[in-house]
This record gives sequence, C-alpha cells and structure tokens, in this order.
Amino acid sequence: MSTRLSARTLSGVSSRLSERARVRLLQAGSVLAVLALWEGVARAGWVDPLFVPTPSAVARGFALVAGPAVDGLVDTLSKTAIAYVLSVLLGVGAALVIGSVPAVNAVLHPFVGALYGMPKILILPWIVLLLGFGTAPAVLYGTIHGFFPILILVIGAVRDVDRTLLTVARSLGARRAQIYLKVILPAIVPTVLASMRLGIVFCLLGVLVVEMFAGIRGMGHVMGSLANGFRAPELFAATGLVSAASIAIVLGLDALNERLSRWRG
Amino acid sequence: MTPLIAIERVAKRYLTSSGAVDALADVSLSVGDGEFCTIIGPSGCGKSTVLGMLGGLVQPDTGRVLIAGEAVTGPDPARVATVFQDPGLFPWRTALDNVAFGLELQGVPRERRRRIAGDLLGPLGLKDFAAKYPRELSGGMRQRVAIGRALAIDTRILLMDEPFGALDEQTRMLMGDWLLDIWRRTSKTVIFVTHSLHEALALSTRVVVMTARPGRVKTVLPLDLPYPRSMESVELVSLRAKLWHEIREESLRAMSEA
Amino acid sequence: MSVTVVAIRVLLFIGLLLVWEVGARLANPLLYVPPTAVVPAVRELLALRSYPDLPAHLGLTVREIALAYALAVGAGLGIGFLLAMNKTFGRAWGPILAALYAVPAVVWYPSLMLFFGLDAASKIAFGFLLGFFPIALAVLAGIRQVNPQLVTVATAFGARPAAIFVKVLLPAMLFTLVGGLRTGLALSVVGVIVGEILGSRAGLGSLINHAYGLFRTADYAALVLLTLVLVVASDAGASLLERRARRWTA
Repeated sequence: MSTRLSARTLSGVSSRLSERARVRLLQAGSVLAVLALWEGVARAGWVDPLFVPTPSAVARGFALVAGPAVDGLVDTLSKTAIAYVLSVLLGVGAALVIGSVPAVNAVLHPFVGALYGMPKILILPWIVLLLGFGTAPAVLYGTIHGFFPILILVIGAVRDVDRTLLTVARSLGARRAQIYLKVILPAIVPTVLASMRLGIVFCLLGVLVVEMFAGIRGMGHVMGSLANGFRAPELFAATGLVSAASIAIVLGLDALNERLSRWRG
Repeated sequence: MTPLIAIERVAKRYLTSSGAVDALADVSLSVGDGEFCTIIGPSGCGKSTVLGMLGGLVQPDTGRVLIAGEAVTGPDPARVATVFQDPGLFPWRTALDNVAFGLELQGVPRERRRRIAGDLLGPLGLKDFAAKYPRELSGGMRQRVAIGRALAIDTRILLMDEPFGALDEQTRMLMGDWLLDIWRRTSKTVIFVTHSLHEALALSTRVVVMTARPGRVKTVLPLDLPYPRSMESVELVSLRAKLWHEIREESLRAMSEA
Repeated sequence: MSVTVVAIRVLLFIGLLLVWEVGARLANPLLYVPPTAVVPAVRELLALRSYPDLPAHLGLTVREIALAYALAVGAGLGIGFLLAMNKTFGRAWGPILAALYAVPAVVWYPSLMLFFGLDAASKIAFGFLLGFFPIALAVLAGIRQVNPQLVTVATAFGARPAAIFVKVLLPAMLFTLVGGLRTGLALSVVGVIVGEILGSRAGLGSLINHAYGLFRTADYAALVLLTLVLVVASDAGASLLERRARRWTA
C-alpha cells in the first residue's frame, strides 16, 4: 500500500517536473528556432539583409545605436512620466465625480464612450498644428491616450463599490468626505492599480506615436529616422530596447501591485 | 412615559422599474428601554424597511418614527447602531480596524479607539484575530466583527437585520447564545429581524409578527420567560406552535404572490 | 428621468458646438476650424470636389482593413486555441504573449515599414498585429472562464472531446470570444489608420496628412469625420454580431 502510494507520488512529481521542463524547453526552443530561422533566412539571401538584418548584425547594431538610443529613451520616458502622472490624476479624479454622481454619469455616459472609442490618431495632426514639435504635443497626446482607459475602468469601479459598505458607513454617521476617503477610495484601489498598469503602456504608446509623427527628439524619432535611413540592425536593436524597457516597467508595476494588496489574497 | 422607540402609523412605497410596491402600510409599534424585540414575517414584508427607518436610512412616506421622543431624520450613531445581514466588512481593514471604524468616523484618537476595539475582541471571541483581514475569517467571525463594530460606538439601541441569516444552523445557535449574553450584560435595546422561529423564541422579550406585503403588524407576542430557554419546555412548545400558525398563513400568502 | 437626461445631453452637445464656433471665430478660424466651416468642407468632400480620387483612397483603406482583420482573426483563433487546448504550449507561449502585449504596439511599426515598404503591406501588417492580440487573448480567457462543472457533466453523459468542444466549450465561451473579435476589429481599423497617418502614399490617412500638411484644416476636419463614420460603421456591425451572440448565450 505504502509503496504504491509513494510510487504514485513519485510519478506525480516526475510528471510535474517534466511538465515544467517541457515548458522551459519549448520556450527556449521557440526563441532559438525564431532566431535560427531568421539568421538562416537572412544568410541564405532569401530576404534582403538591408531590410532584415541577421541577429548577429542586430547585436552589433546595439553597440552602434546605444548612445542615441539611450538618450532618446530617457527623453521619451520623461515625457511619458509627465503624461502618466497627469492621466492618472485626471482620470481617477474625473472617474470619482462621474462614477459617484448618478446624474452626471447618466448625462456624460455617451460622450465618454464616444471619446474613448475614437481613434486618437485622428486628432494628432491638429495637436501638432496647435502645439508644434517637441515636448508639449507628446505630453498632451500621451495624456489623452492614458486618460480614457483609466477613466472608463475607474468609473466602473466607483459604480461597483459594494452598496453594503456605503450603507454601513452612512449608518455610522459618515460625512460625504469620509465616504470618499474611507470607503470609495480604498475600495477602488485594486482597479486603480490595474488601470495604472494599462495606462502606462497607453501613455508610452501616445508619446512614441507623436515622436514618430512629428518628433525632433525621443525614441520614436530615433526609430523613425533609422527606418527612413534603412539602418535595419540599429532599428531592430532600438526596438528591442524600448520593448525591454516597457516590459520592465509593467513588471515593476505588477510587483508593486502585489505588495500593496495583502487583503485581497 | 414616552417609550424609547415609537413607530407611529408609518407607510412606505417603493418605485421600482416594474411599478410601485407597497412595502409597509400603517405600521405602529413601540419598544421600551432594554427590550429585545424580534420582528418576524415572510420575505418582502418590510421588516428591513422598519429597521432602515429606525436607523435613519429610509424615510417613511407617512407617519413618523420617534426615538426618545424625537423624530428620526437621518443616521444617528450616537444613539443607534445597525448590524446588517451582509456583514459589510471593509476588506482592506483588519478585524480590529473594522471594529474601530465607527469610532474613527467620530474622530476618536487612534490609540483610544484601538484600545476600545481591542477590549471588545475578547468577548467577541476574536482575541487572536485582531490583525486578520476579513477574507481570512470564517462567516461567523465576520458577523461577530460586524457586531463588534456596532457595539464599539456604544449606543443605547442596536438594530440587527437578519445578522445570522447567512450562517449555518449550528453557528447560528451558538451566535444566538453569545448575543443573548452580550445583551444581558449591556442591557441595550435590541430590535432583531429574523426568519427563524427558533431565534425569535430563544432570544426575545417580545415577538412582532408582520403580514405579507404590504407589511402590517399582525400579532405581538410577549415572551415573559427566563433565560436560557429550553425549546422543549411546555410553554415554548405551545408558543412555537402558535407563532408558526401566525407566520404560516402569511408565508403562504407571500409565496403565492411571488 | 430619461427624457430630462436626453434633453441635457442634447443641450450640452449644442452648447459645446456653440462654444467651439464662437471661440474659433474669435481666436483663429484657420487653426480651430469652427463647425460652420466644416459643413461646406464635408459637402465639397462628398461631391468629390476637394479630393476627386477619394473613392479610390477610401476603397484602399477598406481593403487594407479587411485583409488585416481577416489575417488577425485567422491567426488569433488559431494560436489562441492552440495555447488554450495544449497545456504545454499554453504555459510556454502564454507568458511570451502577455509580455509582448505589455509593449506599446507602435514600436513595431518602423520595422514593419522598413520591411514591407510605404505601401499597403505595412498597414495591413500593423492592422493585423493590433487586431491579433485581443482575439488570441479572448480565446484564452474564454476557455479559462468555462465552468469546469459543465465539462464534467458532459463527460459524465458520455460526450466525446469533439462534442464537448462544439456543445459545451464553444457556446460557453462565445460571448467572450465575440467580444474579443469586436475589439480586434476596432484595433485593426486603428492600426491601418495609424499606419497610414505615420507614412503612406495612398489611403484615407494619406489624404488626412495631405490636408494637414497644406493647412487645409477644414478639409482635414471633413476627412476626420469621414474616417469616424468608417470607424463607427465597422463597430456597429460588430456590435450587432455581439448582441446576437449575447442572446444566444444568455
């Protein structure tokens, strides 16, 4: 009996181990396969190395592009940071008002939905016309991009605050300010954090788009000029750099999120 | 002498998407200081509306609700505390901070409110759970935290809206014993809404039976019996039969309407 | 209540238009394009006077969107189901997919432009890329959210895997799936338009760029309105489908 049990446990462990090993193997395999295919295709001359450089050329591209790319990334990220702070503050603030006052929500609902659904790119030329090239249009456009998803998510969270909690607070004599501070705000924290995770990607996207469209600095501008100059290795290297930065930021926010939420379990 | 609580000919109609619903029609009731008054009746008979009026959360359409001779116009945490069926604990607060919530709203300094809440956790049977969050507590513990939150602001009147309704039967009976103990030690006035005959008979000094919608007071049953009560005693067996007879009729009516 | 709400909405909208009109006329009519200047521009645009080759550009944009979306649906469903049904693939590629989703998609656009050139192919590729993710992720989320009890019940009644897929999984996840398809379409549309505005020689986006470059702001506004009609129309179609799916499942 006991041998059978331990044998089964063992086989369970080994199958779990091999499952994890298979996953890692497949991940490594997929990445290697893509790289090998890419290198092979490029070397065999099936595609023009001018457009699709070999991975090894991209690695050399990192060295070439490191200086301007890092400068560009710093510029882009500082604009993104301003846009991010603005879109979180404005988004959460507006959502608190709209979400907690049913009449305001009823009137504004279709307007918010329409603005959220509108492709923001359509007003980009106009923004550039008004604000010119440089930091201001990038910050404004990045803010608009981050603002709406945060607004929509947080309005939902404010409207979904457990009615019982509001009733409890009211029956204990809470004033309006106390209801906001001690019930609504803490209740929406998880959604605010989730919307902030989403918002950072949108802000960065907005800033990059402006830089590509009408930038004089920043990563988007760097990448745009590399593309126009057919400098594929450097372009691929720069793309990898922004992607890595973006993933790192999101993972950082995730870690922060996890820390702040013991009560959610 | 004016009774502590006087409900005078109140009526309430709710407007819902499917039309107007008469929740209460002409309800009058007075409750003296230190009573444990249970309101029992079929679903939708307006029991919770009566409690909401006493707690200042619902305004009657007609009639008036007086506490110590004064009309109730809104929540009055100096005199009335409510326990709801859903414990309504703040998930981001520990058990201790949930119990202290009402004191915090009143601006009681942190040290003092934590001491008051901490002292309550012992009798609540939650001494070792002060730092736990609601999700880490059992259903019975959560409801005890909610009761602790109501006790912490130390009001004359305690309103309880089916506080044990979501608990299993064994836990319910233990919680009833425990509540009885608290009530006898603090001599608060309790208005207790329930569906359970057993709870009504075991706990109350008086049972008010309400009719199906629109709710009216059907019968008032005084229970002048010592505690703890044995359900097997001759008086309680016959009272139980009488109470069931009163409620059965109304529950059947409520069922056929719903 | 609802009559008042609608009245306030209409008044608010008219009020905004009025403020815009007056403000634009007072400040700089060329830059802020008052609504009354947009109306004649729309008329000129639709009469094919301001841009005589509008139909060709519009047709190109619609074709780009259709192709990009078709590719996104095919790849999104294919890869989504592969990852959802095969545990090993799911665990291996799921995190990679999620990480890629955390990258603002526009970073890929310069490379796509370099690779596919300035013409339609790069726009289709970008529209495909944007549309692909929500569809694949909706398949994953949809399968994950199916109540396992339903599968257990079906198995207990002797359903084979194919029957479980058709009779249990598909209906149970349909609503999420259709939601993903709708988002995917919206993003494919955005992708194509962003691509055209960031650099193109033909399509609605190129006309927008042209009008903006020449300071023809009223024409620019008219083109933006036309593009919005395209966006709203495509989404209205998708939402019709979504409503039907909701009726099915609910």
